[in-house]
This record gives sequence, C-alpha cells and structure tokens, in this order.
Amino acid sequence: MDTEITVPDLLAKLDRGEPVFLLDVRNADEFAAWRFEGKRPAESMNIPYFEFIEEPEAALARVPHPNFEIAVICAKGGSSEFVAELLRESGVPARSLMDGMRAYGSHLEPVQVTPETASTSELWQMNRRGKGCLSYILRSGNEAIVVDPSRHTQTYLDFVAGLNAHITRVLDTHVHADHLSGGPELATTLGIPYYAAAGPGISMEQTVAALKNGDLLSLGDKKNVLQVLSTPGHTPGSTSYLVHNQYLLSGDTLFVNGIGRPDLGGEVEAWARTLFNTLTQCIAHLPEHVIVMPAHYSATSEIGPGGIVSVRLGDLKAKAPELRMRSEQAFVDTMVAAMQKPPAAYSDIIRVNLGLAQTEDEQATEWELGKNKCAAARH
Amino acid sequence: MAMHKLDVRGAKCPMPIVKAKKELDQLGPGDVLEVTATDPGSVKDFQGWAKINQSAALKEQRTEKDETGREVYVHVLEKRS
Repeated sequence: MDTEITVPDLLAKLDRGEPVFLLDVRNADEFAAWRFEGKRPAESMNIPYFEFIEEPEAALARVPHPNFEIAVICAKGGSSEFVAELLRESGVPARSLMDGMRAYGSHLEPVQVTPETASTSELWQMNRRGKGCLSYILRSGNEAIVVDPSRHTQTYLDFVAGLNAHITRVLDTHVHADHLSGGPELATTLGIPYYAAAGPGISMEQTVAALKNGDLLSLGDKKNVLQVLSTPGHTPGSTSYLVHNQYLLSGDTLFVNGIGRPDLGGEVEAWARTLFNTLTQCIAHLPEHVIVMPAHYSATSEIGPGGIVSVRLGDLKAKAPELRMRSEQAFVDTMVAAMQKPPAAYSDIIRVNLGLAQTEDEQATEWELGKNKCAAARH
Repeated sequence: MAMHKLDVRGAKCPMPIVKAKKELDQLGPGDVLEVTATDPGSVKDFQGWAKINQSAALKEQRTEKDETGREVYVHVLEKRS
C-alpha cells in the first residue's frame, strides 16, 4: 500500500463519496481557519501532530478505527507522514496527504466548459479547489488566452501545451487581493501582452497593455471572441470579459450567489456607488441567458453538475437581492453594513499584484493560506 | 540549572518538536532549552505543544536574524520540576 495520497486522488475519492476519514494534524487555529474539502462531506477530526509526539498512546486512542482509510493532513506533508506511520504501525490503514495543505492550495483542476466549434472557442475553467479561485483558458486553433491565472504558471503552460496551443495573451479581471496573479510572470516568460487595469489614478509597476470598454479580441482564426466590459466597483479597474456573447468572465463583480465586496480599498461608499452604476448600467442590460463565470466561489456547494462553477444571469438576478435594488443609497447602505475586515495579508498581496513589491514562494504560500473572502456578505 | 541550546534550523515539521522532546527528556528540573528553528509554523506549534506538555513550560518566543541574516524563531522551554 502506498504511504501517501495525492491532492487530486483524495479530492476524487471525496467527490465520489467514497468513505475516507480525514485526520488533520495541524494546530487547532490552522484547522479552524482552513480545511480540506471535497464536494461531499466527510468525517474529519483535528488532533495536532505534537500530541502524537508528547502522548502517542493517548493521541492514537482518540483516533477512530473506521473500516476504511484515514487520510492524514498537515501543512506541508511532513507531520502527516509521521502520524500516518504511527497509525499504520498500530494497525490502522492510513495515508499521508502528499505535500499537505500547501499542495491543496496550489492544485488546479481543469474542467471543460465547452469544446471548440466551427464558430466558437474552447473554454476551460481552472478550479483552484483549495482556495476557491477560478481562472480560465480560452482556445481557438493553436492560440490561447488565459484569464486570471494564479501564480502556478507552469501548470498553465503545461496544460495549454497539452491542448497543442500556445498562450498569446494573458488577462486579469482586476488587481486581486486574495491571491497573487501569475499574469506578469506568464507575460514576461512568453513575451506576450499582459492586460490589467488598476483603475483611474492607480498605477501598476508592471508593463500592462490597456483594454477599453467595448474592445473586441480575436483568437486564432475567430473574430470577436471576447468583448471587454468595464465593470468597476469591486475595484476601480474591475473588467469583465464576455466570451461569444455567452459566457461572462465576471471576475469578482458577480459570483454565483451574489456580488463582490466593494470595501477592500478603504473607500466603501465611493466604490459601492461605482458598483451600483456597473450593476444597473452594464450588467442589467446583458441578456438573461448569459452564463456568469466568476473568479471565485466560497463553498463546494457552488460547484455545479459537471464540476463547473457558473450561474445563468437571469437566475442570479432572481436570487441576489443586490441585483434588484433600485435605490443607490439603499445599495450603498447595504454594502456599508456588510463590511468585513479583510484578511491581514490582502494589503501585501495587492502591493505585489500592483508590482510595488516582490515576494518569494514560501512567503506567497503563507499569504495565500485559506479561502478567499471577496464576496459581499449578507446579514 | 543549566542552559542548553538546540539548533533545528532547516528542519521541517515534525522534526523541531521531535528533537526538542528528545532533548528535554535528558534535562533536569529547572534546566532551560533554547530551540532555534527556521520554520515560521513552529511558533504556533510550540505554543500548542506547550499547552499539553506536562514536563516543560514555554517561557519565551522571539524572532531574530541568525549569522547568515536568515529569520529564525527561538523558543525557550524550561523543564518543570
């Protein structure tokens, strides 16, 4: 029997509803803040690894003995290996999650949304399950556009190469606050343009190419593949991309259950007014059949059939009260009331994404720990 | 009472605590063990370990730079009597 299980294998087991018991051996704070989750609920328990060092018999006695496998989880895979070995020695089948929550946080799961046809491009949703981050790959012939890539640039390069294509443009919907963008690195490595906008008066240090509202991009032999829609509010530069008049890559402007929070810049009132304008002047005029494909989700329950995170715009309007508000002031008041404290690392991440600071892998992993908190809360 | 030092720089979880436990087992009541680690996760983990540890108390935690300029996390433990 293998002594380790990989992130995709454990996710697949949990998604299929196969019985696995999750034993998380990180400290209690880390366990409370962020857990390994499949699409179906699994039994889990937290016993920090140092309890297995200090009082091994007592800790082992607390572990249930299910008649199925235990997956042991820690931050980077070292402590879980140690505990899984103790469990196996005591006769309990256990495997350690390879490279731990660090690997969970960086794993990207490609899900095909639509194949290429004579007139439309192929669209992939790249689901970063551990963070709830979504990025997109659009391919036509041997050319591809990547939207909102995470910093795991090699994954995108390998995946697009596997589609027998190469990346010609990289786009960000906005300056992300919860994760580091892979956009600048992909653009530099490949010598291709990086399209991103921080918004009026906010400069980015990286070399960025500008897009303006209404611009149409072609891809491969197809024209008018992607239309640029300026949708400020979550951030002053937020942009959405409408693909084949069908799929709206909405960034953090729209999510499958609601809208993005306008309070991450310390100017909640002004940004909320801008967001209201975007919702009523731009989003409200899009056809109801448009499929919203956001940059984030908050819960595995938002992953739909076929593994795709999306919502029909008409359905979103029906379930999100924020999209039906007629009064600007009522909307602003609602957004102010919904304000939450942003996670501590958000300001550091924004600085790097603006090109004002640099970071290294270890630090980036630390900053990106846990799920995103980009959606506006409801009370 | 004696002062002991343990260098676990570069060691990844669970080794800093495995080694510290082993070292503490050799010490007498009142002895102090100063553990130097490079893993930032060791800060919370030493706190958690200290809570359940019957034989030693966590006296102090501090961050400093080592001779190579690397950030290190120092955990000071005192063996109970």
